[in-house]
Amino acid sequence: MARQPTTSYLDITGEHFRMNSEEVRKARTTHWYARTEWGIAVLTYEDSSFLLKHPQLTQGSAKWPAQHGVVGGRFDTWWQKTLLVLEGDEHNRIRRLVNPAFSARQIEPMHDRFRSLADELIDDWIDHGQTEFASRFAAPYATRILCMMLGIAEHDWKKIHELAATIGLGLGVTIKQNIASIDDAVVELTRYAQSLVQSRRESPRSDILSTLVATRDADAGKLSDEELVNLVILLIFAGIDTTRNQLALSIDSFSRQPDQWEKLAADPDRYATKAVEEALRVNPIGRWISREAAETFQHRERTIEKGSTVHLFTLISATDPAEFGNPDRIDLDAERSPHFAFGGGIHHCLGHFVARADIGVALSAMATRMTDLRIGEGAEWLPDSGNTGAVTLPITFAQRH
Amino acid sequence: MKIVVDQEKCQNHGLCAISAPANFALDTDGKLQYHESFNEENIDDIEDAVDSCPLQAITLSRDAA
Ligand code: SF4
Repeated sequence: MARQPTTSYLDITGEHFRMNSEEVRKARTTHWYARTEWGIAVLTYEDSSFLLKHPQLTQGSAKWPAQHGVVGGRFDTWWQKTLLVLEGDEHNRIRRLVNPAFSARQIEPMHDRFRSLADELIDDWIDHGQTEFASRFAAPYATRILCMMLGIAEHDWKKIHELAATIGLGLGVTIKQNIASIDDAVVELTRYAQSLVQSRRESPRSDILSTLVATRDADAGKLSDEELVNLVILLIFAGIDTTRNQLALSIDSFSRQPDQWEKLAADPDRYATKAVEEALRVNPIGRWISREAAETFQHRERTIEKGSTVHLFTLISATDPAEFGNPDRIDLDAERSPHFAFGGGIHHCLGHFVARADIGVALSAMATRMTDLRIGEGAEWLPDSGNTGAVTLPITFAQRH
Repeated sequence: MKIVVDQEKCQNHGLCAISAPANFALDTDGKLQYHESFNEENIDDIEDAVDSCPLQAITLSRDAA
């Protein structure tokens, strides 16, 4: 019989847990997984790649509200029907209908609008040599792009941002104490989404929402109004915080590698795509992806019991020296294997082409206009739980002429 | 026309199999299997599969199969 290996224990529940720590790296050199409070954490690239797409591992997030004592309210009812938690045929049917609306082909024509927005925001503070990046760029940029995609009046962005943030509390461990305001936000956003759908049906425009309404109307009954409204809420909720935080994380990483920032600035057409991939690889907003075993199965020497949780540590698998040379450095000229910051399998992030495009445009716009980029005093980061990001991110820079 | 999947790029996510189940499927090992040739009536599904692949690994080649 094979000897049972010693695996490390990682306390991922603590506020001071850092994914990018010696402790976690050391655990990766010891074994392909570590134990945690909530199931095992997969650390290596090879095992992450394999398990991410394993047919016995389902998304498993449907239980989340119930695990925190929240059952049957507006948030829970909405959550149970989101694409994010659906499995099997119901998931595949909706995903199949919505995928084409988020294709690279649909996003490509929007690049110029992304760029004008980025430049407009940068104009506001470029002369000062410093700004607070999270609120003066990341939040308005991410939110206004989402408004643009759905055809929401951009001046409503603050309201949309607030509603998305409130619904986002539904994924925090404090869900129970915030549930009244979360439920209210779902009600308000539902009303808003219904009116949007109605208006696009009456007068279609060239936005994603119109495409989705057309999909619904052309394939009568395939995507119900209810499903469409549910999806709009999901897009608003999932599309804002992710991009907003990933922008801050990317800026943080590039500030530590000025040579790569200069390389991007010198030839953004060539390097923008790579810049996004490298930023996502070394510093992703989604620190881990969770899966639940639908059946008991065996992976290597480990039996993974039905119902147990498997976390795939994205940053750690994407900086695994067994797969990547000089893994912790952003290297815009290196050929890298794909990272898993957008998840994988059939739950692979729906919005990844949008995120890749808008982050690429934002980084190019900033690199071409700013040099000597540094993180200023007083940066404040969220704890390293499943998702992370910047609360405040002061930056300083010199204007590039 | 025939379907070509770049095996170097493909990561076996299976989104193509959702869009065009007549031509793409994941086998029991989770590996992509596909038919190179297809019926004209499935062309819309296949174009959706091309668009939906996160790795953009699928192309339609005009060379006769
Ligand atoms: S969607 Fe793309 S990456 Fe996924 S299995 Fe199909 S061809 Fe491969």
